[in-house]
Amino acid sequence: MITYQHLIDSFNKAPFIIQFAFIAVIIMVIAIVSLIISLKVIRSFLKIKDKEILKYKNEYEPLLIEYLYSGNENEELTETQQSIIAKIKEGIKGASRRKSVITILTNLMNEVSGEMSDSIRTLYHETGLIDYAIIRLKSKRWHITSKAIVELRRFKIQETHDLVSEFINHSKVEVRKETQIYLVHLFKFEGLSFLDDLKTPLSEWHQLLLLESLLNLENQQIGNIKPWLNSSNTSVVLFALKLTKIYNQFEMKHELIELRMHPDKEVRRSAIHVLNQLFGYEFEETPKPKNRQLKSEGQIVIV
Amino acid sequence: MDTSTVKIILEIFHYLFFTCSLLAVLSYIILSIISAKETIQYVKKNSFVNYKHILSSPISPSITIIAPAYNESLNVVENVRSLLSNHYPNYNVIIVNDGSSDDSLEKLIEAYDLVHMDYVVDEKIETQPFRKGVFKSNNPAFEKLIVVDKENGGKADALNMGLNISESKYVACIDVDCLLLEDALQKMIKPFLEATDYKVIAAGGVIRIANSCVIKGGKLIEVNLPKNLLVQAQILEYLRAFLLGRMAWSRLNGLLVISGAFGIFDKNIAIEVGGYDTNTVGEDMEIIVRMRRHMEELDKRYKVAYIPDPLCWTEAPDNYKTLISQRNRWTRGTIETLRKHRKIAFNKNYGGFGLISYPYWLIFERLAPIIEVTGLIYFGFLIAFGLVHWEYAILFIAIAYLFSVLFSIVALFSEELTYNQYKKRGAGYKLILLCLIEPLILHPVVLYAAVRGNIDYYFNKKKKWGTMQRKGMNTAETN
Amino acid sequence: MQRHKIVLAEDNSTLSLLLKYRLEKEGFELLIAADGKEAVELVEHHDPDLVLTDIMMPFYSGLEVISHIRNKLKKETPVIIFSSAGQEEMVLKAFSLGASDFMTKPFSPNELVIRVKRLFS
Repeated sequence: MITYQHLIDSFNKAPFIIQFAFIAVIIMVIAIVSLIISLKVIRSFLKIKDKEILKYKNEYEPLLIEYLYSGNENEELTETQQSIIAKIKEGIKGASRRKSVITILTNLMNEVSGEMSDSIRTLYHETGLIDYAIIRLKSKRWHITSKAIVELRRFKIQETHDLVSEFINHSKVEVRKETQIYLVHLFKFEGLSFLDDLKTPLSEWHQLLLLESLLNLENQQIGNIKPWLNSSNTSVVLFALKLTKIYNQFEMKHELIELRMHPDKEVRRSAIHVLNQLFGYEFEETPKPKNRQLKSEGQIVIV
Repeated sequence: MDTSTVKIILEIFHYLFFTCSLLAVLSYIILSIISAKETIQYVKKNSFVNYKHILSSPISPSITIIAPAYNESLNVVENVRSLLSNHYPNYNVIIVNDGSSDDSLEKLIEAYDLVHMDYVVDEKIETQPFRKGVFKSNNPAFEKLIVVDKENGGKADALNMGLNISESKYVACIDVDCLLLEDALQKMIKPFLEATDYKVIAAGGVIRIANSCVIKGGKLIEVNLPKNLLVQAQILEYLRAFLLGRMAWSRLNGLLVISGAFGIFDKNIAIEVGGYDTNTVGEDMEIIVRMRRHMEELDKRYKVAYIPDPLCWTEAPDNYKTLISQRNRWTRGTIETLRKHRKIAFNKNYGGFGLISYPYWLIFERLAPIIEVTGLIYFGFLIAFGLVHWEYAILFIAIAYLFSVLFSIVALFSEELTYNQYKKRGAGYKLILLCLIEPLILHPVVLYAAVRGNIDYYFNKKKKWGTMQRKGMNTAETN
Repeated sequence: MQRHKIVLAEDNSTLSLLLKYRLEKEGFELLIAADGKEAVELVEHHDPDLVLTDIMMPFYSGLEVISHIRNKLKKETPVIIFSSAGQEEMVLKAFSLGASDFMTKPFSPNELVIRVKRLFS
């Protein structure tokens, strides 16, 4: 008790700087101790999570595969399938089980097609996973919304078109982009209609993602690219040029020739590049650009 | 000198040290806060991106991996295999054998069915000439591989050769013994392609320490905490530097260095500025400073990006000798680069680059060891003359120590919340213990190496590359 | 009759499991590899009648698996490869190395079974 009092006395008598330093030391010790404790908590939490994920994966993987193989020729669900659905429906009330089921299913969705992917989609509906996704769609946190959109895209859920479309003008760019990819992935060229009045630039990365979404299905209807070639948004023009090239749009020749005079250097380059790709020698016969500088720029690409 | 002038000098010294420490502490706090913000943002942004399924088609822009090799015969075949197994759909690999005196080339020819090709190099950057020339594989499975055999010219020269030969839009310059994760290129190319109203000139990755990790056939199987205390301490140091320091600087667009072990560049800009400087030991920092300077002088909007994911793993020195020579070299590299580009310092024409990044590097990286040593000498002087106020001294030493521990723990915290690489039971305690003792193990060594670097730079101009003895990836398997 | 042995190299464990069940039901014996290196080892030790391999795999790619079987082991074991959209070039390379057939992901397991059976008929 006496030493204690003594310490307080000497602290009070000490110069300001010592008092300050002393307090700083105490604060830091407290901070270090509490950080160490929370580190410990985080680590054990993560460990439990990891174990859970593995456990649920082993639990649900065979179940889901059994579901997929117990279907019959008719559209209806068999009894085994119904009982599996009931089981999963009960299980996924817990968030980590739900995550685990979604992970297994998405892993499969990317790899299988035909009756099997239809069957996975039925499961997604029947177990109510879709409802959880819709709830998350309405979350106030943008990355949760984005995640939900991504999930709906992966399971190719077209019914949520109207719900998702609302996010096309979302304030957060990531949400807008995921919305665009969802639309293109599921509705192909129709989904590209947002390009009509797009004001913000499309990054190269995003253009690639859109193209990959477009390319992942065969026998698609190709819409009208022309308005986008004439867009006032330079990045839309560049994207449309890529479409012209990939889909061999020979009828765009006139627009392409016009674009050689576009104010943006990159557009001029790609237009000439596409012309060469599509028409080969034919292009060389067309009149040379009036502007000398333009010509030399073009030649870099031709060479 | 009378006592009053001595007193005044002492006072000035006091205040100088006090301000320096205060500035350092303040900058660390600010950097931690910025990095926390940036990390949260990054994690959120990437929580819904599945890299495995994007950019899988060949319309993705081309990337060339350039890996210089000098007497790497021991592991070169395995290392190349790891470089060839990346998941990016449109890339190739150029191994530049920089005049090795061992049988690296023969081993590569044997393992990858290489055949000699006639090749005329368009020498956009001047380099040492070919020795045996260019080799390609006639096995379609290794079609991505190009091996160039040239006369020795050092790492920068070898990288320049790669820049000349590459036909890609982007180049990834890496150390041949680095282990790249499969989605590394996808993740690293993203910032370049995401930029719309500015240009990304380079992107740097995180370097993680591979000692004691289990690596099988060019693939990282298991992450382990090494037993060697010196390597452990470096792990902590790297976590601090990459997860806190660089993360924050990338937010401020103030990165002056991206690690030579793994970085991606816009090839045209790298060539425009003349490639790597062959006259410095710090070519990885120098090229970034020069590219930034170039962009500033052209008055173009640009960024040096940074990807915090653990994508690149490499061996760290596991003995004092190699570590000291490595740090000695880093110090000289920093001095050379900063001196060469001193025009930028405090020059408002270079914006934040000249007013914040450069001065920060000058004070906290370049001068910090010198200030610290001066402080220690001064302290010794005070002790010798019995002028020390021990209650002050002890308190301030305690503050300095606790603060460095706190900073390490914050870095560890950030690691656990984001990448959580050291998952094994018991690793948590070891890492925390490490935070407590690291200032006593690693810091004195690094300080010593930095001082040696300064001495070598000013008084021993002939000092060449410190050779780093590689233990090689394969040894990790047997441990 | 002895059961046909098939090595399946695929890094997506769920898909592996799915195809394993399906093919085992059809009376094949399945050996599962999670990457190209394991696949090569399985081929060396078990001498299978067919190899199914993904193109994009950790470490050894599917192309290397084929190259190893044809050039190093000098075997004529049929190989069916799985590719993804946009990997047409890889498929061509695979054929020039000696692949027997290919399937583009996403594919239907039923179709795979048909193709596998056709190879053995």
